[in-house]
Amino acid sequence: MANDKKNNESPLKVNRRHFFSQLSVGIGSLALGSLLIPDLFKSDTESLSSMPLGIPHFAPKAKRIIYLFQAGAPSQLETFDHKPTLRKRMGEDLPESIRNGQRLTGMTSEQKTFPLMPPAVEFHQHGKSGAWISDFFPHIAKIADEICIIKSMHTEAINHDPAITFFQTGSQISGRPSMGSWMSYGLGSENKNLPSFVVLTSRGKGNSQGLYSKLWSSGFLDSKHQGVLLRSGKDPVLYLNDPDGISRSDKRHLLDQVSSLNKLHHVETGDDEIESRIAQYEMAYRMQMSVPDVMDVSKEPESIIKLYGEDCQVPGTYAANALQARRLAENGVRFIQLYHQGWDQHGNLHNEMAGQAKDVDQASAALIMDLKQRGMLEDTLVIWGGEFGRTNYCQGKFDPKNYGRDHHPRAFSIFMAGGGVKPGITYGETDEFGYNIIENPVHINDFHATLMYAMGLDHEQLTYKYQGRRFRLTDVAGNVINDLIA
Amino acid sequence: MVYNNKNRWFDYAIFGLTVFLIFCLLFEQYIELPSVVAWLGRWHPMVLHFPIVLLLIVLFLGLTGRPIPRSLFVVAVLSALVTAISGFFLGTESDSKGELLVWHQWMGAGVALISVFWYTLDGVGLGQKFYSKALQIVLIVLIGFTGHYGGMVTHGEDFLALPLNKKRKAIPENPMIFADVVNPILDQNCVACHNPNKKKGSLLMTSWASLLKGGESGKTILVGDSGNSELIRRLLLPLDDEEHMPPDGKKPLSPDEIKILERWIALGASDTVRLDQLAPEESLVGLVKNLMEPDPLVKWADLPKVADSTLQNLDSDYVTIERVSGNSQALRIDVYLPPVYDAKAITDLKRIGSNIVELDLSGLPIGVEEMAFVASCANLEWLELDRTPITDAEVEMLRNLKQLRMLKIYNTKIGDQSAAVLKEMENLKRVYLWETGLSSAALVELKLKRPNVLIDTGIDEETKAFFVATDTIAKIEDK
Ligand code: HEC
Repeated sequence: MANDKKNNESPLKVNRRHFFSQLSVGIGSLALGSLLIPDLFKSDTESLSSMPLGIPHFAPKAKRIIYLFQAGAPSQLETFDHKPTLRKRMGEDLPESIRNGQRLTGMTSEQKTFPLMPPAVEFHQHGKSGAWISDFFPHIAKIADEICIIKSMHTEAINHDPAITFFQTGSQISGRPSMGSWMSYGLGSENKNLPSFVVLTSRGKGNSQGLYSKLWSSGFLDSKHQGVLLRSGKDPVLYLNDPDGISRSDKRHLLDQVSSLNKLHHVETGDDEIESRIAQYEMAYRMQMSVPDVMDVSKEPESIIKLYGEDCQVPGTYAANALQARRLAENGVRFIQLYHQGWDQHGNLHNEMAGQAKDVDQASAALIMDLKQRGMLEDTLVIWGGEFGRTNYCQGKFDPKNYGRDHHPRAFSIFMAGGGVKPGITYGETDEFGYNIIENPVHINDFHATLMYAMGLDHEQLTYKYQGRRFRLTDVAGNVINDLIA
Repeated sequence: MVYNNKNRWFDYAIFGLTVFLIFCLLFEQYIELPSVVAWLGRWHPMVLHFPIVLLLIVLFLGLTGRPIPRSLFVVAVLSALVTAISGFFLGTESDSKGELLVWHQWMGAGVALISVFWYTLDGVGLGQKFYSKALQIVLIVLIGFTGHYGGMVTHGEDFLALPLNKKRKAIPENPMIFADVVNPILDQNCVACHNPNKKKGSLLMTSWASLLKGGESGKTILVGDSGNSELIRRLLLPLDDEEHMPPDGKKPLSPDEIKILERWIALGASDTVRLDQLAPEESLVGLVKNLMEPDPLVKWADLPKVADSTLQNLDSDYVTIERVSGNSQALRIDVYLPPVYDAKAITDLKRIGSNIVELDLSGLPIGVEEMAFVASCANLEWLELDRTPITDAEVEMLRNLKQLRMLKIYNTKIGDQSAAVLKEMENLKRVYLWETGLSSAALVELKLKRPNVLIDTGIDEETKAFFVATDTIAKIEDK
């Protein structure tokens, strides 16, 4: 209950009539209650949910997360799920026993046959762990022993918007807080001069779907937990800069005046939102200094630029964002969310995926190696993946030269690195068609529960009461996958 | 004291039971008890409380020279006999008596017989003689020991050991999986009931050989097949299942402990295999490594208390102070570069210095003053000093940080002298020191001296070269 909004209980919000009516019922029920339930007035200090916010429930493995979201859903069959059977049985119809009533999207529901399609690229085993990784990702393959591949992710959503909303907020229906907001709410900020949840976006040449700011909204949580979109270019945060002609000391003066008025108002009403507003003005003021500083990559040495690839000097590219992500993590941002659009390969899969992979492969691997050499992989969790998988059959008519894959929620692959996750393992298994999970399924709720566990939070205890119901990121489900935790 | 007829019947009963008890003890090997009698033995744990209390009352009266009500004395002695006999019956149920049980049996019989003897002395008016008093003192001591041994038989030998001694021994480097990991788990949770004194289900868990031998229902461990091993099956049963082990609401094994036993059996239940002989992706490796890490919350329990208000006072826009978790007294501190830097922001933290376990000063223009503060934080385990102007002299100041596990000093001006300090940091596990003045010779020597420390000297040249040379998509051959 300690997590509920305090201002609803502000003593100043109670008027005289309210006070007396509550008092008479109150005293009677207190007496009755204590008779019936002897423990009624014992406080349960042991309960995690009564702990103060902003502190992990238990010693965390990770202090921050960098989520490299591949929006549009990269095909598991061209990334990490190696299925030679598909090559052998190319063109054959997907057996009904395998499809087993799986719902189809509007794009393939009219299709009469579901011809199996081979992987568009060769796979090889890499590292000591012998992980199968497609040739689209030579750099990630190079660091195979640093990453933990999960081949058994599954979701219920089958279209982009509900699926990505599910991944980001734990619900297919918009309106819930984003996972970054939950982390910010549960753990507070590490650096008071930067937002604790930052979003960076980039776009590849592949077929893309929209990204909406609801994905990083704080929902019903305090707006200070909202993700802040950092834009490339000279104005990384909108409306942060002072208007022309206003000096920094003018600004300081203005803030002090506004703040003293706000404080007066706070004394009158006791509304905590006012304090939160004062704090946000102050933070924006400090961010005017800190954000440009963090965003300035000009001091990065040549060797780092080479590592991430020359692209990282071009603002707005995935590589630039990846480098930026490291700098933000170094400066104590809790949750850094990258989105790279363009992974929706309904057609022309081979060429589009090659292009998309080129955008992200080197920079993703470089980020992991860069974090590693800085000792940051010890306490930073990196996640790479999309919102669902893709079908093993082709969308549209069978053409081995140019084909696409439709959406597939039943099994797909992601990978993680660092932050207390076991390096160099592949978790979960799918059947020979790459269609159904046969071992160690990981649902999105499980994924969220596991991330929270890594961050030192108990997903069942971090709740927020809104409209009479306590909400969690994992809603009413989710199990921590202990096998993934190092 | 006058004898009346009623008392006589009690005396006959006492005499009869005494003879029966002596008979039982003498001819133990030859006795085959019918099951009903054996069932009577089950009452032993209940009746045994009567003679302890009654005899102690009688003893108190006797030793303080007060008159002992004869009826009380009779009941006390009778209950002692009944308890001893029922205990004997119970003992016949276990097929081989351990040392503890034998001691318990003979001392218990001693208590009964000595009390009978004293009762007789008291009956003929010799109760106040000095040898009678001596007898009473012997009786008190004997009751105590009998009870204690009985307790050890039921609850395990270390039941009364101080909790401190019960703490699991630290696991050595590269442990033997059975001796250092599996056995302590069984020792702590199972051996209380599965030992020579108390061989429940005829299963002995005191050694590797006896464990593999199995119990009543045969082998409880099927080597290589944990899924079908009786032992694992019982651990995984629902808590309220009668067959769940350990039974009756005793603290169940943790999921990790069960997994360790499972994997150990699956891998062949060997008693010789060591940690480094397992494949790195084997999940047992991670489980064991977790056990080897001391539980931080236990370790930090002794840190001095620090109030939230103190933390709030020291916290500022550029200094973030957090408790490591929940209500822990251990602190993590991050300091960021303010527009105007002042060493005071750091040195002010001195008040809570001994609570700081993690400190991040990376990228700050720190000098000697700040380093003196750092050196005074005796409980530091995690220290980030990368990208600071420190040199060998400052690293030298860290010599006394005995708890330090992780140190980041990359991108600094330190030189070879720092290697000497690093060599001596006993608890150091990981150090990041690329782009420093350390010569490669010093690094090689350091790595040799500290083979168990991860010494990160940056991304290796081969990987770096690969990243520089390889364009992501080499060449896509059209199929
Ligand atoms: C409180 C006493 C107690 C403790 C502690 C205890 N056991 Fe038992 N155990 C028993 C009893 C009683 C039986 C016999 C009854 C039965 O089979 O359920 C038994 C039987 C067994 C059997 C079956 C033997 C056979 O061959 O039938 C196994 C296996 C076993 N225990 C394993 C364990 C393990 C493993 C632990 C530690 C985690 C443990 N026990 C701890 C009391 C205990």
